[in-house]
Amino acid sequence: MTNVIEVQNLTKRFGRLVAVDDVSFAVKQGEIFGLLGENGAGKTTTIEILEGFQKPDKGSATVLGVNPLHGHRDWRDRIGLVLQESDFDPLHTVTETLSLFASFFSKPRNVAQTLEMVGLTDKAHERIGRLSGGQKRRIDVALGIIGHPDLLFLDEPTTGFDPVARREFWEVIEDLCRAGTSIVLTTHYMEEAERLCDRLAIMSKGQIVAEGTSQALISALGATTIRFELPLDVEPAAICAVAGVDFSVRDNVAAALLGDEVQDVLLRLLTWSRSTDRPLIGLEVVRPTLNDVFLGATGSES
Amino acid sequence: MRFIRLSFSQAWYNLRAYLRSARTVVLGVVMPVGLLVILSWVFAHQGQIAAAAGYRISAIAFYAGGLTAYGLLLGTFTGVMVAVVGAREAGWLKRFRAAPVPPGSYLTGQILFNVVISMALVFVMMAIASLVYGLHLRADALVALFAYTLLGVFCFTAIALAVTRLITTPEMGSSVGPFVAITLSFTSGVFLPPDLMPHWLVDVSNYLPLEPLAQSMQSALAHSSGTGLQLRTFLVLGVWAVVSFALARLTFKWQPLRR
Repeated sequence: MTNVIEVQNLTKRFGRLVAVDDVSFAVKQGEIFGLLGENGAGKTTTIEILEGFQKPDKGSATVLGVNPLHGHRDWRDRIGLVLQESDFDPLHTVTETLSLFASFFSKPRNVAQTLEMVGLTDKAHERIGRLSGGQKRRIDVALGIIGHPDLLFLDEPTTGFDPVARREFWEVIEDLCRAGTSIVLTTHYMEEAERLCDRLAIMSKGQIVAEGTSQALISALGATTIRFELPLDVEPAAICAVAGVDFSVRDNVAAALLGDEVQDVLLRLLTWSRSTDRPLIGLEVVRPTLNDVFLGATGSES
Repeated sequence: MRFIRLSFSQAWYNLRAYLRSARTVVLGVVMPVGLLVILSWVFAHQGQIAAAAGYRISAIAFYAGGLTAYGLLLGTFTGVMVAVVGAREAGWLKRFRAAPVPPGSYLTGQILFNVVISMALVFVMMAIASLVYGLHLRADALVALFAYTLLGVFCFTAIALAVTRLITTPEMGSSVGPFVAITLSFTSGVFLPPDLMPHWLVDVSNYLPLEPLAQSMQSALAHSSGTGLQLRTFLVLGVWAVVSFALARLTFKWQPLRR
């Protein structure tokens, strides 16, 4: 399978701030690749380099076989962008705006069909000034896909969507992917990344701190998480001694990631709980989520 | 062919928004027309006004010519600034830059659009001047006016593009534009005859873009015989346009300034 994007040792500084710090990754044709990270982690800068808006200080980026800084018209014809923030002339209708933008591309999608895809059919002839923020965001998405791109960049596309709209949007993205569009997505919604991305990279302070499929990243953490509220009169060290594992305690909640030893640990904890008559409030035994991966990799609480 | 088609669709897109926005129509047409009606009515008894040293023309030719030039500056300069800064800050220009289109088609579209609304302004101004105030319009004066209008639109578009780097919001553009237009109009023989001004101010104004345009339009309307086009006006506005386009090329930003 060929790569649509190849990034090697990419570095970008803004004054003293190193926004992107020696980043390398590749995106395969036909996959959905996710860039995760907190605000300011370097996701948008990375994407803007790939889109040709920013010039890297070091390293190389190749997008559809071309250096984005030298991408010509036929290259841009194959790329769709959904920018992080944008607005539109409020005096035009949705269809007028989309029609103008569609005329820029050599093989545009039908405007009505595109509106159908993003769920704006009933607003087709409404002036943009009368739309809500979430509806405007759908216009962004519509503009991104109207040129029938081979490669689509989505920079935090569902920010401001309600949960129903977000689910509908995920289906649109999955349909596009099935139709052969390669997609690069930034997000800070873990659920979105876990659902959509074939592979993902977690960025923190400009660097990629973890990369792989979400399943592989989760499995690498361990099979199971145990969590419970630490009784107030019990020292963290004492409970670790009882269970025989190191719990991390944060906000009075003890948590540990465990592999095969989970049953033994649970047995020891429950035995201790019964014999000392201290209930383990809120005891949970769960599979780790991408959120746990994210917190572990970026070392931050969310 | 594609470039022309793209330019026209851009111009049509702008025109449609223009026709839907009461504010821009008021600024671009109602204001100069209103001033023409009021000033010509107030000063009709003056008969002759000194448009330049030793050069007297009828009040209606003075105001019809001067206010048309003023309307072109006000409409084009403000309009381009507001449109370009608005599109830039909304992220539309960034999007446009990333689309498979020649960037120049956006500029050509802006110029085309401004030529259309400027011609409409000239038409309305001349209709009022001739039908209401009896200004005698000759064919060669209209041809000259047409040429000056094109020149003015080019020049004011260029200056507007050159300053967009300093204008951070469209609201800022819509106050800077009228401020510049009104300030220049007082020194350029639009509202007041230039012989009321200090000499040095008149000398400076001769090299600013509004005075030559206003004076050329006034004399095109005043003369009973053909005047031809004034070379000085083409030179001054041409230099302003070329320098401004060059500056715009160096400083123009496609991405929003606010981040």
